[in-house]
Amino acid sequence: MRFILLAMKNLLRRPMRSALTVVGVGLAVAVTVSLSGFILGYRQAIDESINKLGFQVMIMAKGCPYEAATMMLKGGTGLLYLPEDVYDQVRKDPAVESITPVFIGVAEKEAGGIAETASTSYTVVTGIEAETYAAMKPWLALATGPGYDGGRWFRPDAQDEVVMGYEAATYEQRKVGDTFYLSVIPAGHTEPVMHKFKVTGVLARTGSQDDGTVFMPYRAAQTVFGRPGRLTIVGIKLKEFAGPMVQEFSERWIKLPEVQVVGLEQVKSTLVMLVGAAQVMLSAVAVIAVVVATIGVVNTILMSVYERTGEIGIMKAIGASRSDIFELIWLETLAVCALGAVTGCLLAVLGSRLVEKGILAIFDIGVHGSIVRITPAVLGAAVAGTVVVGFFAGLYPAWRAASMRPVEAIREGIE
Amino acid sequence: MTDTGDDVVIRARGLKRYYHRGSETVRALDGVDLDLRRGEMVSILGPSGSGKTTLVNLLSCLDTPTDGTLSVAGREVFGLPEDELAGVRRGTLGFVFQKFYLLPTLTVAENVELPLVFCRRRADRAATMAVLGQVGLEDRATHFPRELSGGQMQRVAIARALVVEPRILIADEPTGNLDSQNGEAIFALFRSLVTSRRLTLVVTTHNLALGYLADRVIVLHDGKVLKEEPGRPAPATP
Repeated sequence: MRFILLAMKNLLRRPMRSALTVVGVGLAVAVTVSLSGFILGYRQAIDESINKLGFQVMIMAKGCPYEAATMMLKGGTGLLYLPEDVYDQVRKDPAVESITPVFIGVAEKEAGGIAETASTSYTVVTGIEAETYAAMKPWLALATGPGYDGGRWFRPDAQDEVVMGYEAATYEQRKVGDTFYLSVIPAGHTEPVMHKFKVTGVLARTGSQDDGTVFMPYRAAQTVFGRPGRLTIVGIKLKEFAGPMVQEFSERWIKLPEVQVVGLEQVKSTLVMLVGAAQVMLSAVAVIAVVVATIGVVNTILMSVYERTGEIGIMKAIGASRSDIFELIWLETLAVCALGAVTGCLLAVLGSRLVEKGILAIFDIGVHGSIVRITPAVLGAAVAGTVVVGFFAGLYPAWRAASMRPVEAIREGIE
Repeated sequence: MTDTGDDVVIRARGLKRYYHRGSETVRALDGVDLDLRRGEMVSILGPSGSGKTTLVNLLSCLDTPTDGTLSVAGREVFGLPEDELAGVRRGTLGFVFQKFYLLPTLTVAENVELPLVFCRRRADRAATMAVLGQVGLEDRATHFPRELSGGQMQRVAIARALVVEPRILIADEPTGNLDSQNGEAIFALFRSLVTSRRLTLVVTTHNLALGYLADRVIVLHDGKVLKEEPGRPAPATP
């Protein structure tokens, strides 16, 4: 029989107490792993979402640049617009590799959704120039298969054609050739105007904000929303995307009235900062959970040591040295923590989708895709961290047990 | 009585153990001279508080004397630190206590083999079964302590003490938790072990009838040897 087996068998003496302690450690580990997975996943999701915008730089009307960036990621209201001639001027800039105009509006859908509620009856409408927009997002492709075959981009001058993102089409139950209705209150009006569109194509799933968007020619969108000659943003890819180039480009165009130039790297870091406070709070919760679990482990092992005072005395009498007793109690603590770590990792992996839903219910963070990413590295770090915690948590109970004088321990045990 | 023979395994001279209780000094043991020989069964008798347990704790290196000299298996142990005392105990001394202290999650065989874990010796199940056979429990090897009677548990504790083949067996009130029938059976077992293994056995008891089954009886009173006389050992059970 080895020490580790003896330690494990000792834990089975009070199975309920040991199990509760393991579960306590497991919950703390699960919270820590989930939050680490969230912090990691959120950063990656922001990266991916912004990369899938296809732009490196956006020009937009003056206002809060982060609100504008968030709007680009998930849509929104209260949009600001800039004159279309900005697009015409900027496209001549020698630093520009590709450029695309974008008009964004929010319209009310008219029937046909799977489960319409007040919050789901609106959709983001993006007016684009199909050729330049698709060139900036080479991964965009028209979906194929039953109901999607024969799809195409709308004609540039069409006023009644739309291409739907994959999720938008699925949600609205639309196929190629179907009719799609939108109700829009044009700028300067108070009454909505109903518009009828033909779905000319459905985009294949991209895993980005484009999946939930309805696209139409930007000039048609300007007309529908009553804002001729206006754009929401101008998306730009530069020939060289290095810090100084972006800086020089920004300085050239920031001089235009009512315009701001936003680099998407800056947006990324800002979006991360926006939830930074929440991450600190969540990290504090994880730290508290770990501290409470550690105290629980120390308490459990100490109780076990005190209950076994007589036994420890006997073990010393039959030849156990101080280091033997120390090792035995320490192994018990490590075993509790290791089992807790495994339990917590399993809980975190199994519950990650639930955590994701919970976080999304609390924070509207404007990114697409999975935001809780529990990687093997996160799990490995959690197990290693818990074992390190166990290493320290076991020191005091093990020292107490090892320090018992056998004669006193046996006497106390008999009393 | 003292002895200078070569077969003396424990020798104590002027052994004292004082405790301090507040300003009071308790003389639990106050100058005991003692020689214990190989193959000898010695009972230590005396009323509560006479110093029986204090004496066996010192003889078994579980406690350290305040003064005097003590030699166990030829080694002077006075003043040794705890870990060296553990080394003396390991393999030289076996212990049986009033309370059995069997680990409830280990089987009988595993409990018996426990000292081997601390001696870093590989358990030999055949040897374990042989020891269990000596205490009459070979058919209980896979049982757990909760499945045994008090007398059987004490036999397991004796087997646990014997598995390291000690030269000296110390039993402190081994029959204190047993009825008279089981108590007599344990003493009969002790007698057979002393005979078959040539063990030195030191046993404390309140039971005079059992105590006088030893080869020699030492009566303590107020921490001193009141008298020492031969016992009336019964013949060993074959």
